[in-house]
Amino acid sequence: MNDDTRPDGDTTEAKRPSATAGALSGVDGYRVLLYLGLLGVLGFFLVPIESGLVTSFKTSGGVGGSLPFAPPTSETFTVEKWRIAFDALGRGLVNSALYAIPATVISALLGSLAAYGITQSSWKPRYKAPVLALFVAGIFIPYQAVLVPLSQFWSTVPLGEWLGFLWALGISDDYTGIVELVVTHVAYGLPICTVLFRSYYKNMNEEMIEAARLDGASLRRIYRRIVLPLSGPMFAVVLIYQFTQIWNDLLFTLVLVQTESSPAAPVVLILAGLGESLEGQDFALRMAGAFIAALPTLAVYIAFGEEFAEGVAT
Amino acid sequence: MGTLELDGVTKVFPDGDGEIVAVDGVDVEMRDGEFLVVVGPSGCGKSTTLRMVAGLERVTSGEIRLDGAVVNDVKPQHRNIAMVFQSYALYPHMTVRENMAFGLEESTDLPDDEIEARVADAADTMGIGELLDRKPSDLSGGQRQRVALGRAIVRDPAVFLMDEPLSNLDAKLRSEMRTELQRLQDELDVTTMYVTHDQTEAMTMGDRIAILDAGELQQVATPLECYHEPANRFVAGFIGDPSMNFFDVERDGDTLVGDAFEYPLSKSTLDDVGGATDLVLGVRPEDISPTDAGAGAHAFRTVVEVVEPMGDENTVYLRFEDAPDGETFIATIDGLERLAAGDTVTVEVPETTVHLFDGRSGEAVHNRDLTD
Repeated sequence: MNDDTRPDGDTTEAKRPSATAGALSGVDGYRVLLYLGLLGVLGFFLVPIESGLVTSFKTSGGVGGSLPFAPPTSETFTVEKWRIAFDALGRGLVNSALYAIPATVISALLGSLAAYGITQSSWKPRYKAPVLALFVAGIFIPYQAVLVPLSQFWSTVPLGEWLGFLWALGISDDYTGIVELVVTHVAYGLPICTVLFRSYYKNMNEEMIEAARLDGASLRRIYRRIVLPLSGPMFAVVLIYQFTQIWNDLLFTLVLVQTESSPAAPVVLILAGLGESLEGQDFALRMAGAFIAALPTLAVYIAFGEEFAEGVAT
Repeated sequence: MGTLELDGVTKVFPDGDGEIVAVDGVDVEMRDGEFLVVVGPSGCGKSTTLRMVAGLERVTSGEIRLDGAVVNDVKPQHRNIAMVFQSYALYPHMTVRENMAFGLEESTDLPDDEIEARVADAADTMGIGELLDRKPSDLSGGQRQRVALGRAIVRDPAVFLMDEPLSNLDAKLRSEMRTELQRLQDELDVTTMYVTHDQTEAMTMGDRIAILDAGELQQVATPLECYHEPANRFVAGFIGDPSMNFFDVERDGDTLVGDAFEYPLSKSTLDDVGGATDLVLGVRPEDISPTDAGAGAHAFRTVVEVVEPMGDENTVYLRFEDAPDGETFIATIDGLERLAAGDTVTVEVPETTVHLFDGRSGEAVHNRDLTD
């Protein structure tokens, strides 16, 4: 596409008298349009975020009396909404972290192991292919299709009884739902994690793995000492991807934890009802809540950003 | 100790519905401390052979014996073999020290200080003592090559396998490393199987050369035997640079008749030929020399097509004067001889230097005289 339009830009430039070319050197119509377009797209992405941010610092009156993207004035500025949102979401953040972090780490680790098995092990390709096909198929099963089987499954598994020792310590047995969420998200995230790691391991230097085998390392030791330490960039990709998915997922939490009044309610459940009341929506509170709920995913992006870029590039 | 025997070793790869025979019944015996160079064109099965010895490929049929014990089903990690790979295959996340220690840590129960001492020792041998704390990404190509070799020698294996280890180096470094490798092999006296497609490496490094083509072993012999007494036309053409000239000829009585020349043979040569009439005449470029005497039985008038001056000698492409459309052949002529394209020159091809091959099978029926 770009290559098609470039020559046009060049020809218009070529038609210009050479006297003006000096002042306008390097400027061609294509480039101007490109940057205008890019600026437009940038605005398109940034305005909603900016609007959300300024709205969260406005009083309820300020929200009604000004344009969404206008910053708050000295009369309408308040941090009260952030305080309320944080109070409301605080326990939810903890609950979300309780399942999002283990589920992310476990699914990434298992995905890495599974991918190692279907790439570097000495199985015949005809045995590997069906396993890989199952993993790939797993990616395309929609969440909605498994909701009923999922709740049925967990109703037949007496997980709450097995975890009885926890409830004896005074922990609410609603936290069964958190454990269920960990297992469910691991199972559901495993296919995509495996496929992502697989493409990474397929491109690993095969001679290096063979060198390790000749050096006397077993399949398990090669994973532990060679493959795992070299998987950093792909772990960053998978951790960011999985954490964002699991943290933001509402569907499974609705099915497995159900109510925002539960002590085990994750942040997404509480956020869904935050600022909703009979008097109408408190937009400022909803915006503040949304930003608080999004902070952990942002933190993960920043923490693994460098490795993420490296992993995506491979 | 490290004697290595390959006995009818065959490797067949499935290819869709059919199969590809990559290595076909290779028999080689290597004595302890021998340096064997396995050479052949790309796809001849030399790397596959090496990988079977390493245990990285399964042997379809035949036996590989290490010190007399069959190792066909022994896993690579238990074969006590070290291999140097073309890509060096260093572990990028480990320092040079860790790279070299890895094999000892995984394959032995040596205490840490013993491993440390052996690594330091091997690093000294390879002259990489100062690089021990660097990562492979901070090393030059030549240094990586040394680390890869160091990683192999630190294990003190029964057999070294090397898969085109010098092919990623520039020409100058390559000849340096060639000498270095020979020195190292002399010093360590470890049985070494060295795969290359470079016939200079084959000629200069090996105690013996094994030449493979299309999965089949063509000849196993010392470099000079391969050069002067090739078993067949393939070996004759592969060993030597520029390579041997071949002329399809037919025997008519005691004379070879080619497209553009006739070449009479003496009684003793004819005895070697026996009844065969369909023959290939092979002449090495350096055995073709200009002569002042006029055209004779073994001297021919030729026209110079191209001259490639190399300094010490000229590589000259010649054509028989009588066959303007005929194929050119190559002669290596003294660098001080003044020759230019278009010149007419009479060249002599002494009968003592010619090789004769069977036209159909390519087997050598007569090799050059070595007594003169």
